[in-house]
Order: sequence, then C-alpha cells, then structure tokens
Amino acid sequence: MLFLEYLKSVGLESPRSGDEIVLADGSSATLLYNPSAATCGVAEQGEESLVVVYTHAESSSLSFDLLPYSKLRLVEVYLAGAKAQRKIRQQAGSVCDITSIVVADAEVNYAIDLNGHGASNLLRSAFIVGGEEHSKVDVRVNHNSSDCTSDSLVKGVAGGRAVGEFCGMVYVAPDAQRTDAKQTSRNVEIGADAKIITKPQLEIYADDVKCSHGATVGQLDGEAIFYMRQRGLSEKQARKVQIEGFVGEVVFSSDQLGEVLAEELIHKLESL
Amino acid sequence: MLSIKNLHASIGDKPILRGINLEVKAGEVHAIMGPNGSGKSTLASVLAGNEKFTVTDGSVEFLGQNLMELSIEDRARLGLFLGFQYPVEIPGVTMANFMKMAVNEQRKYRGEEPLSAGQFLKLMKQKSAVVELDSKLTSRAVNEGFSGGEKKKNEIFQMAMLEPKLAILDETDSGLDIDALRVVATGVTKLHTEENATVVITHYQRLLDYIVPDFVHVLYKGQIIYSGDKTLALKLEKEGYDWLINDYKE
Amino acid sequence: MAEKDKDLIEKIDKEYEYGFTTDIETETIGRCLNEDVIRLISAKKEEPEWMLERRLKAFRHWQKMPLPTWAHLDIPEIDFQDIIYYAAPKQRKKLGSMDEVDPELKRTFDKLGIPLEEQMALAGVAVDAVMDSVSVKTTFRETLAEKGIIFCSISEAIREYPDLVKKYLGSVVPYTDNFYAALNAAVFSDGSFCYIPKGVRCPMELSTYFRINAEGTGQFERTLLVADEGSYVSYLEGCTAPQRDENQLHAAVVEIVVERDAEVKYSTVQNWYPGDKEGKGGIYNFVTKRGLCRQNAHLSWTQVETGSAITWKYPSCVLLGDNSVGEFYSVAMTNNFQQADTGTKMIHIGRNTRSRIVSKGISAGKSQNAYRGLVRVAKGADNARNYSQCDSLLIGDKCGAHTFPEIDSHNPTAVLEHEATTSKISEDQLFYCNQRGISTEDAVGLIVNGYAREVLSKLPMEFAVEAQKLLAISLEGSVG
Repeated sequence: MLFLEYLKSVGLESPRSGDEIVLADGSSATLLYNPSAATCGVAEQGEESLVVVYTHAESSSLSFDLLPYSKLRLVEVYLAGAKAQRKIRQQAGSVCDITSIVVADAEVNYAIDLNGHGASNLLRSAFIVGGEEHSKVDVRVNHNSSDCTSDSLVKGVAGGRAVGEFCGMVYVAPDAQRTDAKQTSRNVEIGADAKIITKPQLEIYADDVKCSHGATVGQLDGEAIFYMRQRGLSEKQARKVQIEGFVGEVVFSSDQLGEVLAEELIHKLESL
Repeated sequence: MLSIKNLHASIGDKPILRGINLEVKAGEVHAIMGPNGSGKSTLASVLAGNEKFTVTDGSVEFLGQNLMELSIEDRARLGLFLGFQYPVEIPGVTMANFMKMAVNEQRKYRGEEPLSAGQFLKLMKQKSAVVELDSKLTSRAVNEGFSGGEKKKNEIFQMAMLEPKLAILDETDSGLDIDALRVVATGVTKLHTEENATVVITHYQRLLDYIVPDFVHVLYKGQIIYSGDKTLALKLEKEGYDWLINDYKE
Repeated sequence: MAEKDKDLIEKIDKEYEYGFTTDIETETIGRCLNEDVIRLISAKKEEPEWMLERRLKAFRHWQKMPLPTWAHLDIPEIDFQDIIYYAAPKQRKKLGSMDEVDPELKRTFDKLGIPLEEQMALAGVAVDAVMDSVSVKTTFRETLAEKGIIFCSISEAIREYPDLVKKYLGSVVPYTDNFYAALNAAVFSDGSFCYIPKGVRCPMELSTYFRINAEGTGQFERTLLVADEGSYVSYLEGCTAPQRDENQLHAAVVEIVVERDAEVKYSTVQNWYPGDKEGKGGIYNFVTKRGLCRQNAHLSWTQVETGSAITWKYPSCVLLGDNSVGEFYSVAMTNNFQQADTGTKMIHIGRNTRSRIVSKGISAGKSQNAYRGLVRVAKGADNARNYSQCDSLLIGDKCGAHTFPEIDSHNPTAVLEHEATTSKISEDQLFYCNQRGISTEDAVGLIVNGYAREVLSKLPMEFAVEAQKLLAISLEGSVG
C-alpha cells in the first residue's frame, strides 16, 4: 500500500492544501498536507506525533520548539519536489525523532539546535532519485549545550541521470562537553550517468566529545547478488532486494506507517 | 544426476580446474578432499555458476540438462544448492523475506502455487528445528551479525527449506566447534534421502564421522588424482597427502 | 685541493647563504608589486624572455583574481603591495664555532637529536668544519650525474634545461589555478628542479643528501619534480629544525609529474615559525602542491605539519592514467594560536585508479585545525576506489578540530569510503602513564606519537625518529 492509499484507508480522502488533520487510526498523529509555513510547539513533557506529506511542489518553512522533556516524532514524505526548511529547537531533555523519505526532486534542509542539556535527536532519511531529478538533503546539528546526543543517518540511491546530494554538519560549541554525535551518509549509484555528492562535516570546539562521521559511495555487492541467485532469486530480484535492504534500514519500524513508507521507497525503486 | 566431463575453468588467465571428471548418482554422498589451493572451492563455485570463473573446456550435465547453459538462479531452482564457505551478509534484508522469495521462486519454476504467509511460516518453523536454529535469527537480516556457527547452521537451514536434489557443501565444517559441528552434520544427514545427493568439500575426517561418504576423491592441481571409499579419508587424516602427491609427481 | 672541490665548497657555501638566521644582509627591491618588479626579478635571475612572458601573464591574471575566503581560517588582511618580492641573499656572516650559536636554538637541536655536523651547517657555522658530509656529498653528486638525474635550483634549470622546464612548468598547477599559485607564478624566487630519466631508480633518498641545502629557497618557492617513465624517487622537503624567516607570507608551488609506471614519494616536514604563545608573528604558509599521475604511476604524499601561524595546503593527486595510485598521509599539529586548513584532493580520471587518505589532526592550546578533502570520480573512471580516514585529537577545551570532506562521484562503479573520528587524550590514559612514572608531558608525547604512527611510519626512517621528537616539542606547554 502506498502512502496516499494509506491515507485513504485511514479515512483521509484528499485533504486540501495546508490542512491539518488528526490521523484516525488511533495513532493520534497529526497530518499536515503540503504545508507552506507553520510553527509547532511541543509543551513541557508533552508528546506529539506529526506526519507531513508533499504531493506537489511547494516552498515551505516549518519550525518546531521542543520544550523541556518533550517528545516529537516527525515523519516527512516528499512525493513531490518541495523546497523545505526545517528549524528544530530542542530544550533540555527533549527527544526528537525524524524520519524523512524523499522520492522526488526535493531539497530538504534540517537545522537542528540542541539548546538544552541532555537533548537528543535521531534522524533517519532516505532519498531515491532517478531520471533527471536532483535531490538534496541538508542536515545541520548544532550541539549548543552539554550532554546532548545526535545520530543522523542518510541513505541515498541515484539512478538514471539523477543527482543525489547530502550535506551534513555537526557543530559542537565550546563548552558543549560530553557531546555524542554521529553522522552517516551511505550511498549507492545505480545509473551509469548518476551522480552522488556527499559532504559530511564536523566543526568541534569542545574536547570531551565523541564525534564520528562516515560516508560511503558504492554499488551493489556482487557477492551478495551471487548468493541470492544461488538461492533461486533472479538477478533483478536480487538487486532489488539488496537496495530495499539498503534503504529499508531508514524506515524499519513495526508500525503500519513504517511498512507504508517502505512500500513507497520500493515503488520508487521499481520506477528507476 | 550430475555428470562432469573434462571440466576446465580459469580465473582471468590462470587455469584452476584442469580436467575434472566426476559422476554423482542419486542417493550418494561424495567427499572431495585435497590440500589448500587444489581447486575444491572453485569446483563448487563453477558448478553454481559464479561468473568470476570462466569455463574453458568440458561439460556438465545435471538432471539431464546442460548445466553450463543455465543461469545461476535456474541452476538453483532446478535443485542445485551451494553451501557457502563464507556465507554473505545482506544488510537490511530479513531472513524470512529472503527465504520466502527463494522458496516461491522455486515453486514458480516448477509450476506450483506460491506458499501463503501462513504456510511459509509453518514451514520455516518446522525446518529451523532441523539445525536447532534460533527462531529469532530468522527475523534478523541475512547473516548479518551471525556468529560463524550460526552462519553455517543458517546454510543448512536454507538447504532444508529448499530441498535440493544436489547439495554441494563447501567447507561447511570449517570454523565450527564440536557442538556446532554435530548439529550441522546431523542436520545434513537428516536431509539425505535416496532421491538426493550430497557433495561434501572438507579438509577433515571429523565431518565424515557423521556424514559417511560412499566415495572420497582427492583433488590436486585441478584434477581428481585418486578416488576411494570412506577408508581413504581415514588414511589421509593419518598420513596426509604426500604419499599421493609424490605418486602423482612421478 | 682540487679545483673541483673548491668549486663544490663554494657552491655549498652559496647554498647555505639562504639560511634562517637574522644576520643576513640582503639586496632588496622596495616594497611593492608591479610589472617592473617582475621584470627586475626576471632580469636579476638572468631569465630568458619566455620566462618573463610567463611571469607577466601570470601577474596580469592574478590582478583579476579575488582572494580566496573559503578556508576555515581567520587571515588578517594582507597588503600585497607591502611585501618585498626580491631579496638577493648576500654572503652571510659565518660563526666561528658552535659556542656562538643561540643557546635556545642549540637546545632544540639537541632535543631533536640532529647530528652535530648538521647542527653546525644549519646554524651557519663555517662549513669546512663539516668536511665529512662534503665528501659524502661529492660521492652522491657523482652517483646522481652517472644516472642522468638532474637536480638543481629552478633558476638554473630555466637557463640550462629550458626544454624540460617549458614542457612541465605550469603543466600540473597552471597560473590560473588559484590566487596564490598565480602570485607564485609571477614572482617565484627560487626552488628545486628534479628530473629522473626513464627507467632510473634514484639510488638514494634525496632527503638524506639535500636536507640541509634545500632550505631557505625563499618565500615564493617553486618546485618541479619530473619522474619520467618507469623511474622512482623519494624526495624530502623541509627540516625538523625550527625555521625562522623574516618574510611573513609564503606562497609555494610544488608540481610533480609522474609519468607512466613511475613512482614518487614526496615527504614534507614543515616547521616554520608558528608565532609566539600570544599568537604574535609567525609565517603564513599558503601552498599549492599537486601531482599528475599517468598510467600505472604512483604518487605518495607524506606530510608532518607543525609550524606556521596559518597553514593553507592541499597536496593533491590527479589520477589521469589507468591504474594509477595516489596516497596522502598527514599529521597536522597546531598549538597556541596556530590555524591550519589542510588536506588533499584525489581526482580520479583514469580507470582502476586507487587512492588512500590518512589524516591525523592534533589540536592543542587555542588553535584551530581543519581537514579539508575532496575525492572526485570522473565519469570515465571505472572501478575507482578511495579509502579515507581522518582523525582528530583534541588536547584541551579551547581548541577546535574540524573535518570538511567532500565526495563527488560520477561513476556507478566507484567504491568510496570516508571515516572520521574525534577523540581526546583521556584522563585514564594519563593517569595510567603517570602511575608508571611517566610525566604528563612525556605521556602526551607518547600518546600523540602512537596516534600519528601510521603516518610517521611512511617517512624515511631516520626522519621518522626526528619527526616524533618534533611532535613532542611542538606540544610543549599544551598540558598541565
């Protein structure tokens, strides 16, 4: 089931642009449909869940303020070429968990400020581009306070003549001691004319920190393809399974939404 | 079932197999032994169709078909199973998903209906008992983070799922402790019937205590230089290969 | 004494004139930069017309170029008109014995374990006291000549080997490349030229021999190294001894051509004056270094950077030929108020090209240390491979360690990996060392050397030992 079908299945036919709707399946998540601008606050110790979807090109800017010890789960699905700015400000002890799926010509920018002691941010993103598309995921995490953790994983697949870009930055302010920051960019190029550009960056001004980043650009694993074909999968299936496994990590989740997002990624893969 | 005639294969310009002849019939167990670098693993890879190697001469017939003309997956679907010496990790792909695809592809090839999710889960549960595979492993990614013993058990579990006509087990015993060896070996024995055949590639006699071979072959420099019954393996364990190799040199 | 020997001593004398001590009388052109100054430089060096034309062309281009500002550096404004672009060194005053050498300098020499004879040469003690090394040098020079190896100053090369210079100078780093490369092409003072003929394996580390006299080639150094087909050379630039220079701005260019099947190892130890503990003074070191690799060629850069107030430097490899290999091994250490923005570029153009990057940054005091790297795989570069490892070590909480890598892949068969970690010297490590009777300062030296070992091991052997000591000395005062 693809994402839009899923929305229908939970009773959301096709909302008007900018609509804000509470998902009806008991998950209590709020759905924002092609929002162009919004500011969301999460109250102290509050818990919010938000799903944002773009079905047509839109320029948008959303900001989120997470008050102390609040939680936000943000799921974003880019089915169309949006240009998105996200400002996420987190106060002490707040937890923000972001999943971002890009299957279009979109440019998505996350600016995350960990302003309070012990705030934590987890970001999982996958982009799949094909044809002439150009997508860019930009993640900047500012560790402005001590004892914060951040973990960003961005996976990219570029086919056709597409360009996939990742630009990451982990900034650790002076005195932001005991920072634990991780940033990972993993990419697969599957089109002869596809391009991957990745820039994972660290800027560190405190010494008691655990910061690491990694970036890879590669292709499908020939040994694994042989292994799968030996078990009877066709070459095409084996390739697809491998890419699914590759991007699947981003959306692995037991809930239905995770499955739907995985479907959305697979659907896009099949079109490459 | 399997008939190999004068098989030559090379990697790049380097010949590795230099004229292998071997007949395997249903119900038989063959053991292939030989010193390192003699071409044992290459033989297994070539039969499975690994594209790293080029077949330069000879023929292989499997169940009445010219094996060399078939794709890797069609060989597998026809019933040829290779137990990998180094099972490959496939991150993000769960064992359950992977096996479901493999089983249903084989069924499709045979013109059978795919298994339903329920039937499949039942089958998986039943087969994982064969090798005492922890059922949690089937929900993890293929071979990812598995211990050496778990990887080998997983190979035999997959063999049980796919019920091959011919299983070629490439050093399935390497890197196993005594308990894991027993589990893997008895698993293989349980799966053996009069309808299928097993080719075991090994360095050690200890595996052959469980899987008793009808024939033992010694591979050296890309050829089978000597064949015998199960007592040959015992003699090799005791005396090594020198006596054979020296003979061969003369 | 044979005429030849006299000649040699004179030559060596001349080479020492360019040393770093302060008592140098110089003939200078006033502070300014225009076409007349460039004509004057060219005339003083008795250059042919074509060289002057090249300089002027570069100068005209430079005038149109903006100052680069992308580096993670805080560079005070430089007035390019307020710089002396030509200073012909005159005979320098010779010291009678080691006793006359500045005790501070002598202390550093001793710490580095530099042999007495070299200490004398470096400090400018009269050279006839170092006859041993002279005789060694004679043998070396003869050996080089026998093999057809050319090794001389770039000025000499321009006069004596114009065809080689015309063919290769500017072929890897054109004057249009960047602001400082253009400036260098216009005003370069001197530098080295090295040509290894086809199939020749240079019989020694050029380092061992030229360690002393390759110093002091001026603030706009120009080096051209050509390894012809199938040849091999290991070349060492720099010196572990502290280098003082009155000229604050240094903008060197090093070009390396590695022809088919040839191999070049280029090692650098950079220890220019870093400024004082308050961050006053110190050299600005803006260097462009690049090598071009033809088919099956192999270029390996190794650098140990401890000096300079500001370092801006990216030794790079253009892997043009199929199967060529590029390597970059770097230790960059900054202390006090030093700033470094250094790294490499690996440009994969040929098929089956491979590159490897190992960068170890060490920041102490209030310094800022950045790794900046680019790995680019061009469309036709099938099966390109890169592995990059960039680590940062922080000593103290007032410094900064930064990593700015970029991977740009235009070919789906590329396999590229980049990893980076940041760590500090842990209290546990220090405590453990202290408990075993090792002072904190020594412990830091020990840990830092362990951290940098992978790179230090790439240096010519005798130099690796000195580089280790150098790291410890540069860290002095950073803990406790």
